[in-house]
Amino acid sequence: MSKVVEVKPVTRIEGHAKIKIWLDEEGNVKDAHFHVLEVRGFERFLIGRPIEEAPLIVPRICGICYTCHHLASAKAVDAYFGLQPEDLPETANMLRELMLMGNFIHSHSLHFYALAAPDFIVGPDADPRERNLVGVIKKAPEIAKNAIRLRAVGIKITEIVGGKAVHPVTAIPGGVSKGLTEEERQKLLPDVKWAVEFSKETVELCKQLIDKYIDLVKNVGVLRTYHLGMVDDHGVHQLYHGKLRFVDPDGNIAAEFPYHQYLDYIAERVEEYSYLKFPYFKKAGWPNGIYRVNTLSRLNVADKMPTPLAQEYFEELRRTWGKPIHNTLLYNLGRCIELLECAERSLEFLENPKITGSNLRVPVKPRSGEGIGVVEAQRGTLIHHYAADAEGLITDSNIIVATVQNNPAFDRLMCEESKKFIKGGQINEGLLNRLEMLIRAYDPCLSCATHTIAGHYPLVIEVVDDRDRLIAKLSNLE
Amino acid sequence: MPEKVKVVNEWLCVCSGCEISLLNIHEKLLNLLDRIEIVHSPVLMDVKEIPEADIALVSGGVRNWENVEVLKEVREKCRILIALGSCAAFGGIPGLGNLFSREELLRKVYIDTKSTDNPNKVLPCKEVPPLTKMVAPIWKVVKTDYVIPGCPPEADLIWDALSSLLDGKEPCLSTRTVCDECPLKKEEKKEIKVVKRWYEASEGFDPERCLLEQGFVCMGPATRAGCGAKCPQAHVPCRGCMGPAATQADQAASMIGALGFLEVDPELLVKKVADPVGLFYRYTLPSAIIPRYVEDRGGETR
Repeated sequence: MSKVVEVKPVTRIEGHAKIKIWLDEEGNVKDAHFHVLEVRGFERFLIGRPIEEAPLIVPRICGICYTCHHLASAKAVDAYFGLQPEDLPETANMLRELMLMGNFIHSHSLHFYALAAPDFIVGPDADPRERNLVGVIKKAPEIAKNAIRLRAVGIKITEIVGGKAVHPVTAIPGGVSKGLTEEERQKLLPDVKWAVEFSKETVELCKQLIDKYIDLVKNVGVLRTYHLGMVDDHGVHQLYHGKLRFVDPDGNIAAEFPYHQYLDYIAERVEEYSYLKFPYFKKAGWPNGIYRVNTLSRLNVADKMPTPLAQEYFEELRRTWGKPIHNTLLYNLGRCIELLECAERSLEFLENPKITGSNLRVPVKPRSGEGIGVVEAQRGTLIHHYAADAEGLITDSNIIVATVQNNPAFDRLMCEESKKFIKGGQINEGLLNRLEMLIRAYDPCLSCATHTIAGHYPLVIEVVDDRDRLIAKLSNLE
Repeated sequence: MPEKVKVVNEWLCVCSGCEISLLNIHEKLLNLLDRIEIVHSPVLMDVKEIPEADIALVSGGVRNWENVEVLKEVREKCRILIALGSCAAFGGIPGLGNLFSREELLRKVYIDTKSTDNPNKVLPCKEVPPLTKMVAPIWKVVKTDYVIPGCPPEADLIWDALSSLLDGKEPCLSTRTVCDECPLKKEEKKEIKVVKRWYEASEGFDPERCLLEQGFVCMGPATRAGCGAKCPQAHVPCRGCMGPAATQADQAASMIGALGFLEVDPELLVKKVADPVGLFYRYTLPSAIIPRYVEDRGGETR
């Protein structure tokens, strides 16, 4: 214990994440680790809070996928009160799911246009000072304006349906606190119709990106793992509610279960070198049970998409790349297909007259017990699990976020890729870019992951020899 | 063209919601970028070292020793330092961590959580920055020139503050409370006879009426205006994310004062407010006047 509580100012560690690569006696890669440097302790300080307050507290785990935390938490709280989504009024479920779609539109478009597209539009070899959203604005102002508008549509949905643009508040025990008025529906409709069109253009743009870098896509970051995601009873891709499905590295269904049984299927290991834990699929054990979540994993476990345009692209993806797809860089394409799906779903909800219904909640009574809530967040399966006493005060909590589940695969990928670039103690150029590209494809949200930081990764790679002496340090920090 | 104002954005113990809120000025971002040059921002651009700049927007409180180092560097290199959001300003929700020792926080996350498989009770301790004893708002570590509160601050609030600074004016915050800008109907009858838990709002709930008058503890009277009273308008009680109002020093003390003024039966209050610290200090515990000191075994005492 004293190792941790020993407090002394440390020299600044550059960035919130870093990669350390260990070499053996011959100077070849022995091991590699992705270190995450943040932790906040939400699971501890939720204890003692009234359970109905949890959905108002946990969005602060992440300033990007706040709606996912709000809803996974609300579902866990409902379950503690003895309610499943089918017990809630139909309008309440629709509004919650619409709120989630808004969050996906914002997050997926932000990731694609702020992280992935700059490499494509501004160029991968461009000055790093230009290789960002600001660079896109300068080089392709029309695309940038549309990208900003697309994200704004997602934010607008959240603001109207969730009550606030960031950290929404309207999912409450037994339903939602606020309905959608006809006026609000009319305000959203034209924007969402446009979002479907522009999301389709985004998928096309992403396909061009894939074609341009086809060699990289085929050869970089290909890792055979299990995949986890949510589907309904007919195997259709779902984000708000369904059961969880694991597929094995060959694409066969390895397990399918109601999410409240997650403890039978998922466990998390702890390592000294990272604030991120290391989850694995229990039935396959550690380390065979390393699995991935996120966009492509969800498409790997699904048989079908819920909306027509997304289904077309899904079929094309399967025809071209088969099942399951292990190529890391295709997470970007999966993300764009889901973006389109979410725009289409939003439109379906807004065109359904029930969305403006007035039956919004069912009454609840506290009881001693537990509740588990799961939704798919942008970066993968998100699990909130609380126990509370008869007064409704939280006595225990467990949160498994999306990015954490990709952590073991990350370490493995770092190791495999660095082997291609380091031989006999010689480090070849391009290592840094390659690893950075892999990290970006997962859009890892370290905010969530450490219950801390998102966005773009100041990356530091340290290469250490067999006697733990630092022999090289690479960084994308100038 | 006049030289652009150089802006640094840095984040400490954050969720990144403040940065997302900054992006939520949407197309106005294009106008803003005509006047400022963002020279460092982990969320927006490939990160370089922190350059000298005119304005620093710092989000997040201080949770580990890396945060301390980064914050000091930003202060040295930037002329004006702004605390962006309630974590930087007051400690924010991660500040609830101050109710527990570091050891308790880490033990829960890495040993005692249900899905954790950690028989050797390993805790992260290599290559990771150790936690500070307490979460702190940034002004406890460096001189802070301005504060933009909110969790996150509304996009318009950030826009107004930046526009003022760029026009050479002092950015100023509302001196009113959330109640003052809340459109829900108040009967101004002083006495509140019932106090209810938030999940009890189903039978007889009037969405048009003041939540506090209906017996739901709403932090509006003890919270600074500027958010547009969005939560009460979505029929959810205010939780105080804007921090204490202008003339109030301690949010919990103000709220207890307000409840006294409304003549709420104290016994009822004690019974129904099951978690006073987590409610009244939800966003401001690390800057509270009545701080809680936690014995942190193995660490230095403050």
